[in-house]
Amino acid sequence: MLRHLNALVEPSVKYFQANNQWVSVLFTARVEAKTFSTSPQKPEPQLKKNVSKAMKAYLERAKEHDEFMKQQNVEFQIGKRHLANMMGENPDTFSQEDIDNAIQYLFPSGLFEKKARPFMRPPEEVFPQRKAAEFDETGRPYHFLFYTGKPNYYKLMHDIVDHINEAYKFEDTMIRKGIKPDPNLALDMSGFQWIDKESLEAELVETIGDKDYETFSTTMDRLYKLPYSYRSKDFLFKYRKPLMSHEKTYQAPKPQYDADGRAFITTYECLRKRARGHVTIRSPGTGKVTVNNQDLTYFAEVQSREQVSETVLIINNRDVYPFMEELIARPFSKKYDILKKYNMC
Amino acid sequence: MAAIRTFVKNCQIINRNCAVLSPLVQKHGMSQYPSYYIEPVHKKEMQEDLIKSGEIQKLAHLPTKAARNDQSSSFRQDDLVNLFINYVMRNGEKVLARGLVEKAFENIKRIQLEKYHKCDDEEKKAKIELAPRVIFHQAVENCKPILALTPIKRGGVRYQVPVPITPKRSQFLSMKWLIEAAKEKDATMRFHYQLALELIDAANNKGRVVKRKQDLHKQCEANRAYAHYRWS
Repeated sequence: MLRHLNALVEPSVKYFQANNQWVSVLFTARVEAKTFSTSPQKPEPQLKKNVSKAMKAYLERAKEHDEFMKQQNVEFQIGKRHLANMMGENPDTFSQEDIDNAIQYLFPSGLFEKKARPFMRPPEEVFPQRKAAEFDETGRPYHFLFYTGKPNYYKLMHDIVDHINEAYKFEDTMIRKGIKPDPNLALDMSGFQWIDKESLEAELVETIGDKDYETFSTTMDRLYKLPYSYRSKDFLFKYRKPLMSHEKTYQAPKPQYDADGRAFITTYECLRKRARGHVTIRSPGTGKVTVNNQDLTYFAEVQSREQVSETVLIINNRDVYPFMEELIARPFSKKYDILKKYNMC
Repeated sequence: MAAIRTFVKNCQIINRNCAVLSPLVQKHGMSQYPSYYIEPVHKKEMQEDLIKSGEIQKLAHLPTKAARNDQSSSFRQDDLVNLFINYVMRNGEKVLARGLVEKAFENIKRIQLEKYHKCDDEEKKAKIELAPRVIFHQAVENCKPILALTPIKRGGVRYQVPVPITPKRSQFLSMKWLIEAAKEKDATMRFHYQLALELIDAANNKGRVVKRKQDLHKQCEANRAYAHYRWS
């Protein structure tokens, strides 16, 4: 019966469908009449987005920031290519160092504060990083620790504790087997310290207090001191910073060679109070010291003589071969204001 | 002229000390260095000790202060003697102070040598200490007080209460008393000679300075009853 009705109605339905008329009502009615089910079918509700104004504003801001960063990135890339073109370099292989040199050349600045000088860097370094949208339109946060206020920081703390617990578990299994930890594998952090507060804040894109930073420091120390901490080596190395080393920071001057082929280094304008002098050290030397073409007795005071002869002592004490000879020229002023010695550890 | 100069200098010292009262500076006094700077180690033996114990690892990455003019890595260097020279020094005349102390040591040597050569008994001869530095160290050690008296006010009355003192303060008092005793001399006597005599006496546990220390200890013992005033 229905089949016959269908055959009658279908052509007109098709005509009306083409003209987007009120055919849909007929259609749905037909479909409903066909279905046979015991449970009542709920009509599908239209998805009405109940987004609060605050949420809307927040999502808008997050989107704006993303777009802004994208725009800045595009500008930076184009600007980089322009700059490379200006400098006559290949735009594809123009590195950050090249950019810095180019900017220094094009905009020479004598400002004392280096941060006030003109620079051109990727927008990620220039603009403070903001987090992407932290929750979706319904208001459900993506991060499980969002309601702590500092999700990244607390996640990091949880990670450290996870590593500590893993190390404990491993230690337990080793104790059961009767194996002792290998002292050679133990981590050596004597030349390192944990990253400072600013760097940590930049990495987490969150502001943390001093107390939080201290907790982070002490917890990392705790993890590092465990006997099996070497298993979490990669994690630990991510958050450590090398301490300065004298050998790396100090650049020794290169020796020059005189007519006899002896190496010598002259340091000009050494100063201490009102004394000025030039110091020449030759190698290989004899250990002789000459001051203003005179003997060490140029200095009447014993203390000054001790200081000068100490340089020879230090070099000899450290078993540095060859011996050094020293020549100081033209110190004038109070004789006991000897040229200040900077530490020679 | 000299008086005006010293007056100006004292004013400067006062001005400098006012800055010390500020909490920021109080951390490390008038030091030009931040607090994490370490003192340099001059003597080769001490450096080797650090390497052996492994302490050098911690110190290698810390910045060091510049060496002072009176420090050197020579074997004749002695920190206690340098400190003593600084205590003797007045108005920044290091050359004079050092000369006086060196002359005092020379006098000690002469006096001891005279004793040594005059002595006939072999046993006594062996006991005579000839090295001035050893005598100096011994003298300072013998004059160190253990307790000192501080005035504490209780019920409107100031009591002299015996209190313990730190090793540093004790050492300072010892050296200060030695210098004061050397200054209490005849006008015709030289300071460096008197100092030599005081040092030799103190090293033998007799003389004015040791008596002063012992008097102080007796006073402390006498005032034992007030000791609890330290804690009220």
